[in-house]
Amino acid sequence: MTLAQERTLASKVRADFPILHQEIHGKPLIYLDNAATSQKPLAVLNALEDYYRGYNANVHRGVHTLSARATDAYEAARDKVQRFVNAARREEIIYTRNATEAINLVAYAWGNANVQAGDEIILSVMEHHSNLIPWQLLAQRTGAILKFVSLTETEEFDLAHYKSLLSERTKLVAVVHVSNTLGCINPVQEITTLAHQVGAKVLIDACQSVPHMAVDVQAIGCDWLVASGHKMCAPTGIGFLYGKLEVLRAMPPFLGGGEMIADVFLDHSTYADVPHKFEAGTPAIAEAIALGAAVDYLMAIGMDTIHAYEAELTTYLFQRLAELPEVRTYGPKPDANGEGRAALAAFTTGAVHPHDLSTILDQEGIAIRAGHHCTQPLHRLVKAQSTARASLYFYNTREEIDGFIAALKQAIDFFGGIFG
Amino acid sequence: MSLDNLRDLYQQVILERYKKPRNKGKTNPVDRYQKGHNPSCGDTIELTLKMAAEGNRIEDVKFEGEGCAISMASADLMADALRGRTVDEALEMVQKFQAMMRGEVEFPSEFRKLNVMQGVAQFPVRIKCANLSWHTLKAALEAAQGSEPIDVVSNE
Ligand SMILES: Cc1ncc(COP(=O)(O)O)c(C=O)c1O
Repeated sequence: MTLAQERTLASKVRADFPILHQEIHGKPLIYLDNAATSQKPLAVLNALEDYYRGYNANVHRGVHTLSARATDAYEAARDKVQRFVNAARREEIIYTRNATEAINLVAYAWGNANVQAGDEIILSVMEHHSNLIPWQLLAQRTGAILKFVSLTETEEFDLAHYKSLLSERTKLVAVVHVSNTLGCINPVQEITTLAHQVGAKVLIDACQSVPHMAVDVQAIGCDWLVASGHKMCAPTGIGFLYGKLEVLRAMPPFLGGGEMIADVFLDHSTYADVPHKFEAGTPAIAEAIALGAAVDYLMAIGMDTIHAYEAELTTYLFQRLAELPEVRTYGPKPDANGEGRAALAAFTTGAVHPHDLSTILDQEGIAIRAGHHCTQPLHRLVKAQSTARASLYFYNTREEIDGFIAALKQAIDFFGGIFG
Repeated sequence: MSLDNLRDLYQQVILERYKKPRNKGKTNPVDRYQKGHNPSCGDTIELTLKMAAEGNRIEDVKFEGEGCAISMASADLMADALRGRTVDEALEMVQKFQAMMRGEVEFPSEFRKLNVMQGVAQFPVRIKCANLSWHTLKAALEAAQGSEPIDVVSNE
C-alpha cells in the first residue's frame, strides 16, 4: 500500500465491508455498481443480527420488555434519519419499503385527493421510472397533464425550460436530486422556491444524493423527499419519506390496517397521527433499526468527508476515461475539483455493447451495470439504447479505477482488434 | 485478461456476425413479422419471414434490431439456418436451441454453425440474449398457426 493510499478514506473503511474482500473469477472484486445498491458495513449487519438474536418483537403492540426494546430502537432510528436529513420534527419521517413506495404513497394519498383534470405535474426527462410511472398512473386516474423539463447542451436540468413550464396550473413538481444516469446535481432549492411561487408542491427523489452528500430538507424547502436505505449502507426493504408536518397531516391515509389507527369501529375508524398514519401493518423493524445504524455509520465518517473523497475519485475517474477516445460519457463533466456531478459515469464505447462489456469486466472481477438503468425515456433522448455505468462509493479506490480502466481498454481492444 | 473464457463466449464467428451480419434487413415480401424485446436490457429485434409459395416452407429470413454481440449474432446465425426449413422443422429447432442453452444437446452436423452459441450456456445471465431471436421466431410461427398474435414478445 502506498502512502497516499493509506491516507484515503477507503483504506480506513474497507475493513468494515466484509463483502469487498472476495474474489470473483479468481480476481479481487471491484464493486462499481453502487448506484444500484451499496454494500453494507459490519455495523449494519450487526444491528440486524443483534435485533433478531436479542430483542425481536413486534413494535407498538406489547408491554413486555422485548416489545418495548424493539419499539425504542425502531423509533430511535427515526430520530437518526430525522437528523440525517435535518427534518424539523421526527414525525416528518415515514418509513417505507423504498423510494418507490414513498413516491407511490404521495401519488395516491396526496395525488388522489388534490389533483384534478387539467392540473399540471412537472417532471424532468431524466426521472427514474420510479418517479415517472406513479405520476403517469395519477394522470390516468385524474386527467392531470404531465410536463417534462428537458436537458441543456451539457445534459443537465434545463432551468430556463423549467421556468417556462411553471404556471398557476402547476400542481406538483417531482424531480430527481442527482440523476442516476447523467450524474448531474439538480438545483433543487431553486426548483423548490420557483414551484412554491406558483403554489405547487415539490417532491425530491434523493435516492442518489443522500448516500453521498449532506442533504438538508429545510434548506431545500421541499414538501417531500424520498430515499432508499439500500443505496446508503442499509438493508433492502427500508426507505423513507420525508414530508412537511402540515402537508403530511393534511393527507388522507395510504394503506389501511393495524398500526395506523386511533379508534376502530365496524363501519368507520379514526387514524393515528403521523408518522404512524402512514405505517400500516407490521413494519420492517430490523431493517429500520439497521437503517439507523447505517445513518450512524455515515454520520460518524461525515457526509462532507464522504463527498470530498468521492469528488477526488470523480476527478480521477473522468481523467482516466478521457484517455479512451472511444468512450462517450453522459451528463456534465466534473469541474477541476471533481464537483458538479456525482461519482458515477454512464458511458458507451463504439465497439463494445454495454452488455458485452459488463460480461467481459465481470470476468475480471469488476461489477458494473449495463442497461437503461430505469431511465428509458432519457436513454431514448440521448440516443443510446443502453449504457454501461460505473458508480462509486466512499470505499472505492483509485487502484480500483485503474483496474476498471485497464479492463475497459482490453475489452475495447478485444472487440476492436478483431475488426481493425 | 482471462481471455480463454471469453473466447468461448465470443467466438470469432460470433464477433464477425455481430460486426458484419449477413441477414439484416426486411424480407420481400413480409409474410410474417414479429417484434421481440428483452425488457431488462432493452435489446430489440424485428424479425421478418418470407414464406415459399407452396406454403409451409421458410424461404427467407431477415432481422433488424439493436443489441449486444450475443443477441445479434444469434439472430444472424438463426436466419441462415432457417432458410428452406418447414415451419415444423423450425419449431423443432427452437426447442433444440433452447435445450442447447440449458446445456443439454448439440445440433446435428447440418446445423453445426449454431453450436458456436454453446459457449453462452456457461454464462447464465447471457442466455436470454442468445434466446431472443429464437423466442421471437417461435411467436412469429405460432401466430400464423392461429394462436393469439402478440404485439411484442418479451423473453423475460
Ligand atoms: C434516482 C433514483 N430514483 C429512484 C430509485 C428507485 O429506488 P428503489 O428501487 O429502491 O425504490 C433509484 C434506484 O434505483 C434511483 O436511482
